[in-house]
Amino acid sequence: MPRWIDVLRRRVIALVRGRDLDRDLDRELRSHINQQIDEGMAAGLAPDEARLAAVRAFGPVSAIEEACRDTRRVTPVHNVIRDVRYAGRTLLRHPVLLIMAASSIGLGVGANLTIFSLANELLLSPPTAVEAERLVYIRTGNGSHVSYPGWRGLDESRALAGIAGYSVEEGVNWRGTDVSVTIMPLVVTANFFDVVGVPMALGRGFTAQEAAAGRDPRLVVLSDRFWRQQLGGDPGAVGRPLVFNGDGYTVIGVLAAGVRSLPGYGLAPDVYLPISRRLAPKLDDARTPAVQLIGRLHDGQGMDAGRAALSTVVQRIADGSGDQEFRTITVFAPVGGISQVKEFQAVGAFFLVLLVVTGLVLAIACANVAGLLLARGTTRRRELALRVALGASRSRLVQQLLTEGFVLALAGTLAGLAVTAAVALVLPRVSLPLPIPLDVRLAFDHRLVGLAFGLVLLSTMLCSLMPALNATRPAVVSALKQEEPRYVHRRLTLRGLLVTGQVAVTALLLVVTVVFLRNLTMTRSLDPGFDTEQIVVAQLTFVEGRQGPLDAPTVERIVERVRAVPGVMSAAFAEGVPLTLFSGARVGTAVRLDGAEAPVRAEYHANRVGLGYFAAMGIPRLRGRDFQASDRAGAPLVAIVNQAFAERYFPGRDPLGLRLQWEERAASPSAEIVGVVADSKYRTLGEGREAAIYTPYLQQRDVERMVHVLAGTAVPPGALAAGIRDVILQTDDSVAVTVQPMSSALAFAFLPSRIGAVLFGIMGLLGTLLAMVGLYGVMSFGVARRTTEIGIRMALGASSRAVLAMVLKETAVLVGVGLAMGLGLAALLAQPLAAFVVADLSPGDPLHFAGTALLIVLVSLAASWSPARRAIRIEPAAALRSD
Amino acid sequence: MSKPADLIQGTLDLLILKTLALGPNHGWAIGKRIQQMSGEVLQVTQGSLYPALHRLEQQGWVASEWSTTEAGREVKSYALTRAGKKQLARELESWERLSAAIGLIVREA
Repeated sequence: MPRWIDVLRRRVIALVRGRDLDRDLDRELRSHINQQIDEGMAAGLAPDEARLAAVRAFGPVSAIEEACRDTRRVTPVHNVIRDVRYAGRTLLRHPVLLIMAASSIGLGVGANLTIFSLANELLLSPPTAVEAERLVYIRTGNGSHVSYPGWRGLDESRALAGIAGYSVEEGVNWRGTDVSVTIMPLVVTANFFDVVGVPMALGRGFTAQEAAAGRDPRLVVLSDRFWRQQLGGDPGAVGRPLVFNGDGYTVIGVLAAGVRSLPGYGLAPDVYLPISRRLAPKLDDARTPAVQLIGRLHDGQGMDAGRAALSTVVQRIADGSGDQEFRTITVFAPVGGISQVKEFQAVGAFFLVLLVVTGLVLAIACANVAGLLLARGTTRRRELALRVALGASRSRLVQQLLTEGFVLALAGTLAGLAVTAAVALVLPRVSLPLPIPLDVRLAFDHRLVGLAFGLVLLSTMLCSLMPALNATRPAVVSALKQEEPRYVHRRLTLRGLLVTGQVAVTALLLVVTVVFLRNLTMTRSLDPGFDTEQIVVAQLTFVEGRQGPLDAPTVERIVERVRAVPGVMSAAFAEGVPLTLFSGARVGTAVRLDGAEAPVRAEYHANRVGLGYFAAMGIPRLRGRDFQASDRAGAPLVAIVNQAFAERYFPGRDPLGLRLQWEERAASPSAEIVGVVADSKYRTLGEGREAAIYTPYLQQRDVERMVHVLAGTAVPPGALAAGIRDVILQTDDSVAVTVQPMSSALAFAFLPSRIGAVLFGIMGLLGTLLAMVGLYGVMSFGVARRTTEIGIRMALGASSRAVLAMVLKETAVLVGVGLAMGLGLAALLAQPLAAFVVADLSPGDPLHFAGTALLIVLVSLAASWSPARRAIRIEPAAALRSD
Repeated sequence: MSKPADLIQGTLDLLILKTLALGPNHGWAIGKRIQQMSGEVLQVTQGSLYPALHRLEQQGWVASEWSTTEAGREVKSYALTRAGKKQLARELESWERLSAAIGLIVREA
């Protein structure tokens, strides 16, 4: 056996069977003495004399035993074990302290772990795939999506082992037994499952051959959720026929539960469909964005090599097609980890701020516990001094006190883990007002465990190091007499530091909380620029090829019927509804403005709308005319722009009568601007003034599969929803219809700020509450400790007014310094915070700072006032005796 | 008479290992043997002998077991392990070097 194993084995034995070894040692030394006696007797001594001589010759038995024990080198470990036992016993004797400290740390740690695991799940964890470390997100200069031919060119180049495309689509109709529902598919290229490798619960993923777009594939892979919720977890689901958009598909597999999808953010598409001309009619158009790219590196191919190989391919393809945007690769990033993809970074920054805030909450919780331990340290001075007098070194005492802190932190962290586990259990059951399927599962992985362990150590140090050093300050005699250094007035005390720090952190936290709570209320009161109260939104998803042609007249008939519903004042068609997930397209393209020589790049929101759209939405028309029935196919093209568009692209000119020509449709005639309408919000409430172009859908050849009908109502919109749904289904019962008041359709728009406000609000209130309790405790303890001093001052003739003034003055200094520090930090944070709140709200608003300062001053006043009052009311004689 | 402090620690280890190379033995007898073999010059006290034995055992150079002497006394008997034999060879070698070096200096002076 190698020697190190032997040594290790001996150490372990020494550790766990120390008592046996001690007995053995005792026996060995006794045997030595006995032999010495034997020798003495053999030399002719009497038994008693021999014994005496032997013992004398042997020397100090216990010292030798100690020296032998030390050779086992496990004393430090034994000390730790003893300390833990002692700490456990002591803390169990003070259950109130244990519960308060553990729950305080538990809340702080729980908040941190929960937020971290959320960020971990949404941002850091790679999508579920075989060898996910070889997968890369790829984007070209075209933006997030490339065309289908573009994808094929990239994949066929074999620059990487494989490149697949996927696209989150707005919805397909699934025809269940009695109703049609809109579900969210992930439309993927045929080689998707070959490239990505997603684990399956049943069946398998389709292969590149069988799902090739040219073969009009009718295969579907279901998500675990869809399989459970819609098919009742049918074990024989594979091979089952399902109808999507009126076409029959065959189930080929069911994804395993808990699969993280490629789009990320917990998005869980209901079904995976192979891309086909059926689903994407403009599949072969090299200018129509179709799919996002995910690539798999060759075995052994590095990131740089992969990127270089792909770069030459995109240049070759761009040269062939003349699409200059396609020339460059803008993103080539590993999946998982902090991504280079812009959208991820924005969310990442949000979580970073959130983690800072939860970190502050934990710091406050630890400060509370430190305050408790500090207070206990003063009452324990006698015990500690006694131990010093009996020979304990200061480092041993500090070790002992740190161990107590460690046990508290450990208990707190376990409580925090329980909090996180509870959130993880509840989270999948929370349904957010989202039209998209989300599946967020918090995993307890190595990162979380590592963080939890780190937090234990951190909170141990934060909450017990200072109190331990303070309590073991060498002052044996006075401590044995249970004396406080009574009349010494020290300027900088540990407690003062604690109060100052806590005030500072609380101030910082309060400012952040106030900003986010105000953001929530301001978001609610923001004017989107259109009516949100008296409108019903009906979302229609048509099935292609059913009930005759899907064209404008068909849709117009539906709008007519809706208009005839009693209570409906106006009704209009709209392709997109602003501030919902389907708000229409945000376009950036080259436009030739009124015959100008060079086209300019214009960015605007595009929406195709029907007659009466502006009236139904309550968007005021500023100039020109509305669309009219004569603006139909064949008639001259017209467009209506918003004020922002007019000002940005035709500054100082009257836009009426000017013409727009889209560069990509160079062959088509230009459109005349016939009207200008007021600005409104299009994608997010927080956005600034955005340009917009409206075109009449009647001039459009084909109608999108998903459209909206808006109805302005005279009665509360909720009452009309069912009636509107019925008349739509009377026209075409294959259409999937969702009817809801505009206010609930807009829930999505409020979601980011609402989530932000809720998260920051909870953290802020939690932290503030903890801090206020802690502040109160530390301050009132500080004043109470001076009871004796106050007694003497009173006995010597100080007026109660003077004593109160003295106490309050000290408080004022501590709180003032803390406030200045906290508010200063908050002012620094104001700039980055501005990115998360609506434009009209300035995080640096003095109001936030003033309100925060006021609240903290009030709490501090209350905290020092009542103990001070108590102190000046006591009889001086009693105060002198008290301690 | 030599005090234990005069014995360099490494030297005591060497003496013990060397003694055990002659055969397994218990603490009392090891002390006696060192004393005899050194012509009564070196006297190892229990205060250094036993900690040294335990240290050697912790390091895996000697192993111990209980046995009974001819006189019927229960004793804890130590024996060299294989690693201990190698260690003895190493220590002998370094001892030779050291004593040769010291010898050179002493004779030179």
